[in-house]
Amino acid sequence: MADTVQEFVFNLTFPFSRTLGSTLSTFSSAIAQGQIIGVRTGGRVIAPPLEYDPDTAADSGTDWVCVGPKGTVSTWTWVPEPTNLHPLDHAFGFAFITLDGADTPMIHIVDAGSESAMSAGMRVEAKFKAPADCDGRIDDIIAFIPASDPSPSEGAGEPFDAPAENEITEMDAFSDLRYVDNASPTTIMWAKALMEGRIIGQKCPQCARTIVGPRGMCSVCAIELDESHVVEVPGRGVISNFTIVTPTPYPGQTETEPFARCSILLDDADAVIAQQEILDVPVSEIRVGIHVEVVWAPENERSAVDIDNRSRGSGGDIIVGWRTTGEPDEPADRYLDRMM
Amino acid sequence: MAPSENDIAIVGFAQLPPERRTNLTESDLVLRSTREVIAQVGIDKSEIGFTVSGSCDYLSGQGFSFVQNTDAYGMVPAINESHVEMDGAWAMYEAYVRLLQGDIDIAMAVGVGKNSNSDPSTLFTVEFDPYYLTPLGTDTWTLAALQARALIDSGKATERDFAEVVARNRSNAKSNPFAQVKGDFSIDELLAADYVRNPLRRHDLPPTTDQAAAVILARGKRAYDLCERPAWITGIDHRIEAHLPTVRKDITTSVSTRLAAEAAGVGKGPIDVAELHAPFSFQELILRDSLGLDASTEVNPSGGALAAHSVMTVGLIRVGEAANQIIKNGKNRTLAHTTSGPCLQQNLVCVLEGDQ
Ligand SMILES: [Zn+2]
Repeated sequence: MADTVQEFVFNLTFPFSRTLGSTLSTFSSAIAQGQIIGVRTGGRVIAPPLEYDPDTAADSGTDWVCVGPKGTVSTWTWVPEPTNLHPLDHAFGFAFITLDGADTPMIHIVDAGSESAMSAGMRVEAKFKAPADCDGRIDDIIAFIPASDPSPSEGAGEPFDAPAENEITEMDAFSDLRYVDNASPTTIMWAKALMEGRIIGQKCPQCARTIVGPRGMCSVCAIELDESHVVEVPGRGVISNFTIVTPTPYPGQTETEPFARCSILLDDADAVIAQQEILDVPVSEIRVGIHVEVVWAPENERSAVDIDNRSRGSGGDIIVGWRTTGEPDEPADRYLDRMM
Repeated sequence: MAPSENDIAIVGFAQLPPERRTNLTESDLVLRSTREVIAQVGIDKSEIGFTVSGSCDYLSGQGFSFVQNTDAYGMVPAINESHVEMDGAWAMYEAYVRLLQGDIDIAMAVGVGKNSNSDPSTLFTVEFDPYYLTPLGTDTWTLAALQARALIDSGKATERDFAEVVARNRSNAKSNPFAQVKGDFSIDELLAADYVRNPLRRHDLPPTTDQAAAVILARGKRAYDLCERPAWITGIDHRIEAHLPTVRKDITTSVSTRLAAEAAGVGKGPIDVAELHAPFSFQELILRDSLGLDASTEVNPSGGALAAHSVMTVGLIRVGEAANQIIKNGKNRTLAHTTSGPCLQQNLVCVLEGDQ
């Protein structure tokens, strides 16, 4: 029998396509052409532009100004060991860089070679990706590098003529967050029992309710429950609620046809287990009151890898699903006053 | 002071021991902290008219964890409940405002953070501006370091001043049973460490902590049933600055802290003790200055946020520690501060007073 899992690594991954709005669309469409811009509002040039004047919250308008590509560092730091989220794989600096023609700094990367090259007042210039690789993002600028010539940028401070329609109005943003959770004592208890083909709950000494799967607490009385409160319940029960899911395509969705997910109230239990699959009833015939029994995976195919702290009441790969017993349906009043 | 029915006090505070890595879930932590504070003030949970928590699903990586956490309250029959995706200090602020409505007498606020599931050097990049900052991997440490360098270059502080803040807080933490990082450290020893983000070293950064805490608030005379010497909230305010640190006029000061302190009436009298939420050592120097504290105020006798830093809990613990200075330690007027966002973007200031 496989051991239960003590730690779960999971990556929360989701793609976004962000709409940019008029201000950021103008910025993005300009930077894709190698031109950094700011907006003049409230008597100062804010670069990169914001949609609002931070002093007054007024719309910052469309008085666009060409800024950079050179600028001056006002404060800086150094990243000796980049993470997977940083665009460079070698040590580099971050800095506030006030671009020529701007009054506020922008935060960007300075690829200075060494920490000792960094200082307030240093002149830097933007190093862009190849034009074909620019897609209107702040990281179209690979990095700022020490300026070969400290003289002012040509054209900085001059008005920028925005096109009537911006070419770029959206930006892809991909989120990929890594978590390492550890199994709680309650989760380990639940997973071990499932691997042995047992369904357990915890019986509250105060209200006498039996909660399946165990939560380590009675969520009515708000008291701690532990191993001494564990009871085994039969793998038989009644569908107490259900929903029919019509899948829509999104990243990660593998279902294509409508499917049912049911809450099941096990015999001798006072809390339902949710999101269960019924194996032998067509979706159109799923109803409250059907008697069902558990279908276990064969012992040599059971795995607890999916039983984590988030899967309270879930059988993971150990419970294949539920099948009907053929008994007459149970009347609805049997499952009043039960817990989710 | 004879309280009016509009006066609200902190009457109980419980925190769990901070851990670098707990094997409990957030709901386990909520249960243990709330049961402890309820027992402390000697009420039945049914007497609580409003319950509110502060937590963040992104920390533990569990969607709707804040819903699962409500299991710990005992929600049958249904209770009046709320949640903020911010530190428990803001949950406390909501509980305070709720009590001002005058129809209930007791409220409970909770903060919980299981921070150890994620890597703070990368997780918080998703918190920042998604167009200008996140694509560059701009992390919390980097933004703090940019602020620290500006503070040094302005001549207001040195790296040695940063190390002194660390040494003092860690030394104070020795007498705090709820400190994760504590001990005696020499300034020179600290300054010999490598930079994580120049000019910040590991000890200038907050520790990673799993923890929960809870407070109970009571209104008017009801407070005396629950606590001999209630910590009355005599001023509270929350101010926010622009989300991009680059558009602030001067990041070596905290305008929002100063405005919140003025609105909370900090300057109306001496502050005996201040519990400041400075996640990064040098930010304590900015906060002292912006709050207008002088040498007569004892700062962070608990060791502050450098002693334990469970995001979503650390601010509520500042409130609880400041309240306990009045409830248990005989102080008259204390201050609790909480921050959120990059480079001290948001600041909440709370003034607490005991009966004289
Ligand atoms: Zn119970």
